Amino acid sequence: MAETGATASRNRRTLILLLAPLTILLGVFFLIPLGIMVVYSFLEPGLYGGVEWNWYPYNYGRLIGWPLNDYEVFDPIYLKIFLNSLQIALMTVAGTLLLSYPAAFWVASMKGPRKSLVLFLVALPFFANMLVRIYAWLLLLRPTGFLSTLLESTGLIIEPLDLLFTNFSVIVGMVYVLTPFMFLPIYANVEKLDYSLVRASRDLGATNVQTLWRIILPLTAPGIIGGSVIVFIPALGNFIVPSLLGGSKVQMTGNLIERSFLQSRDWPFGAALALLIMAFVVVLFSLQFSRQSKSEGQGTR
Amino acid sequence: MFERIMSSKGWWRLFQAYGLVFLIFLYLPLALIFVYSFNANPINMAVWTEFTFDWYKTIFFGAGTAGSFDAAFTESPDRIFEVVRNSAIVALSASTISTVIGTATAIAIRRYDFVGKKVYQALLVLPMIVPDIVLGIALLIFFVGAGFELSLLTVIIGHTTFLSSYVFVVVSARLAGMDMSLERASADLGAGPLTTFRRVTLPQIMPGVVGGFLLAFIISLDDVVITYFIAGVGSQTLPLFILAMMRRGLRPQINALAILLLSFTFTVAAIGLYLRSRKS
Amino acid sequence: MDGFLQIRSATKMYRTPEGGSIRALDDVTLHIRSNELISLLGPSGCGKTTLLKCIAGFEDLDHGDITLTGQSLTRIPAHRRPFNTVFQNYALFPHLTVERNVAYGLDVAHVERKERTRRVGEALEQVGLAGFGARMPNQLSGGQQQRVAVARSLVLKPKVLLLDEPLSALDRKMRESMQIELKSLQHSVGITFIFVTHDQEEALSMSDRVAVLASGKVQQLASPKEIYDEPQNEFVANFVGTSNIFKGKVIAKEGRTLTLKTANGRELAVASDRFGVGDDACAVLRPEHLKLSGEARDRAIKGTVTQSVFVGSEMHLHVDVGLGRTAVVRHRHNKGSTEAAYGPGADVTLYYTPEAAHVIECKGA
Repeated sequence: MAETGATASRNRRTLILLLAPLTILLGVFFLIPLGIMVVYSFLEPGLYGGVEWNWYPYNYGRLIGWPLNDYEVFDPIYLKIFLNSLQIALMTVAGTLLLSYPAAFWVASMKGPRKSLVLFLVALPFFANMLVRIYAWLLLLRPTGFLSTLLESTGLIIEPLDLLFTNFSVIVGMVYVLTPFMFLPIYANVEKLDYSLVRASRDLGATNVQTLWRIILPLTAPGIIGGSVIVFIPALGNFIVPSLLGGSKVQMTGNLIERSFLQSRDWPFGAALALLIMAFVVVLFSLQFSRQSKSEGQGTR
Repeated sequence: MFERIMSSKGWWRLFQAYGLVFLIFLYLPLALIFVYSFNANPINMAVWTEFTFDWYKTIFFGAGTAGSFDAAFTESPDRIFEVVRNSAIVALSASTISTVIGTATAIAIRRYDFVGKKVYQALLVLPMIVPDIVLGIALLIFFVGAGFELSLLTVIIGHTTFLSSYVFVVVSARLAGMDMSLERASADLGAGPLTTFRRVTLPQIMPGVVGGFLLAFIISLDDVVITYFIAGVGSQTLPLFILAMMRRGLRPQINALAILLLSFTFTVAAIGLYLRSRKS
Repeated sequence: MDGFLQIRSATKMYRTPEGGSIRALDDVTLHIRSNELISLLGPSGCGKTTLLKCIAGFEDLDHGDITLTGQSLTRIPAHRRPFNTVFQNYALFPHLTVERNVAYGLDVAHVERKERTRRVGEALEQVGLAGFGARMPNQLSGGQQQRVAVARSLVLKPKVLLLDEPLSALDRKMRESMQIELKSLQHSVGITFIFVTHDQEEALSMSDRVAVLASGKVQQLASPKEIYDEPQNEFVANFVGTSNIFKGKVIAKEGRTLTLKTANGRELAVASDRFGVGDDACAVLRPEHLKLSGEARDRAIKGTVTQSVFVGSEMHLHVDVGLGRTAVVRHRHNKGSTEAAYGPGADVTLYYTPEAAHVIECKGA
């Protein structure tokens, strides 16, 4: 269909008109700020906040423990915190996965209105305020909290149980907050799973375990991987959960970033930390993206 | 369907039981807040003394209006009203603006092809991928550097930036299922572009637009991290206020406030989920 | 009687969402022979797929049992039965190559690699897909996928191959060639194929025997020819091929020839050994057995053509024979013949030989 010149130029005008607002918004308030952050991460922190416009790679050096200046000694404290963050994020992924995977099959096995209701119930906490959800675990885990009181009253423990301010409490909180992110992609995959493949596998003599391992897991892998990526990233950068459930005992990279901006006012260092997290995001998503486009290239039936 | 995977009844029952445990895991913590919010014990919530509505009353009327609660246990209603108002202003304006912008973008992407479309689409979803904290500090650096004073305006701008992406995704999903020949049919029947949009396109994508708006509204209302970095002294929102309360110590009034907030967001979310399920 | 695969009084109930229950299988008894191709034919919901699932072991019977050479299969789970299934949508594992798909059953049984490779090669050769081993299922045509599914089952050397409407997803041409291929494959591997289908032509053209099922019961089990020529009841007569059924009462008998009087007083001559004067009976007349004549004849049926449909090799004429009944007649139209064209409105007379009519019992005639 050949378009006349007038139509083409009118289309072009409409297109520009429609795209302009978001393009400007994202350009000015998203891309430029991210760019400035990159620049800041290479600048010297000012004495009273702000920056000095000097080339200063030590923000990154400090991160992996290089002595910063003449008066600082090798101290990989930030590296340790970062590794601990990685560990917590990975444990969170594992926890959400273990919880969500069987649950997805449970929901998928239902039918009709019951299924809609359960799906609704599973999706709803996703919209609950994150703070409120974390707060609930404060009530559950603290020494005078629900769990401890319950266990004491049953006589299982004598001393109040302090579960707070440990890696465990942080992971529990993260798992609770992030479970919907894992559940939904897995569920989408499980729901699509062609049950006749499971039956075919059984028909060909495979046991349940063999079927799970050789057929179900590989076929639901996209959901597992997708869910893992979108749980891992917010877990890695989270600072609210560790600051409330980890207290001063559990430090994550997110806490360091927060502190360097709002307390120590070392913005360049905070920016460098944020970019470290961004590096993970970029790598994970490009891996995910290339995997996806590869499987799309093969064509799916 | 999956009965046959569970070749024995025992496994099947275990599977069902697990499902219940999963639901309990999701709801027990929230239910706990709900129960505690009616416990009169001002010192230890885990020990039940008696049923009371007082914590809810203090939110609206302040300490002393209900029972004999010391002001130390409660925040003033004026302060609470102020942060709720801030939250409402931010959530309503950010979600309205982002709904308009996100919808316009989704329509443009669906209707036209242009050079670099793929890259452009990737850019559009980027704000959803970037961790909150990174977005928060990037905006903080930018606002401070560009001489903006941190205020409700900066919060609205910040929210609109990433919420537009959410609306874009939701509306795009709706548009993907729409028959674009309807627009051509409308034009063929003599309707101008605006009439076509108002009478053909918009009614078709309305569920997506409303869904996008509700989602944006809830995310904005609930946001802690980004707001945490770009809110100024006078622009504290409700979540930030609750965070501050929690950091000062756990007091029963938080329970009541949390339950009120939950009831509100759950209602909005339930409407959104209902609309979506009805349409598909 | 060959006691190879016996299904005795098989009954299976399903609960409906409304709380009631339906009998998907109602006291089904079937004796299936070794090395035959038997079709389970019936409309959707007749129980044919349920029966196949019960044989495969995906479903349990509520009553009755299934035995293989005298041994009950009731307690043997699907994966231990010496049966394999070719699924309707083939159920090829999309993440595995053709070769890995075919090797799957051997893999999970830990068959040694050398033997596995040999048998997979053999099976692929058998179905004419040698050299396709490295492809992914989605790179194959429908017919090729079908063959992979067959090879994947045959590689395990089952005693029975169950095929669940395996050709329904293919286009007509492909379906016809696959019918011939499956039939010859069954001959060469020499095992029993149980073939579920709703397509009567498919069932008639491929099978050694056909079991017609409806509402959970076996209506008739016989050779394709018998099914077509001598349907046991009205359902079979209507479901397999097109039938003109005339209900009536036997009013006279002369040797094998009966005279059947229909409700509108028409008298039909039919041949049967079974019925006596006074019995209710139905005459089944296949459209190809009805001949057309322009003139009046004795013992013929008068009617008016209401519709004539040209289908290439012949004309299908719908003839109103009174009392709101329409008979279908196949008329071979010779090219260049001077015969009158039987257009709508033409008065015609239908005649037939009494031997061509098949007489069955009528339900509530």
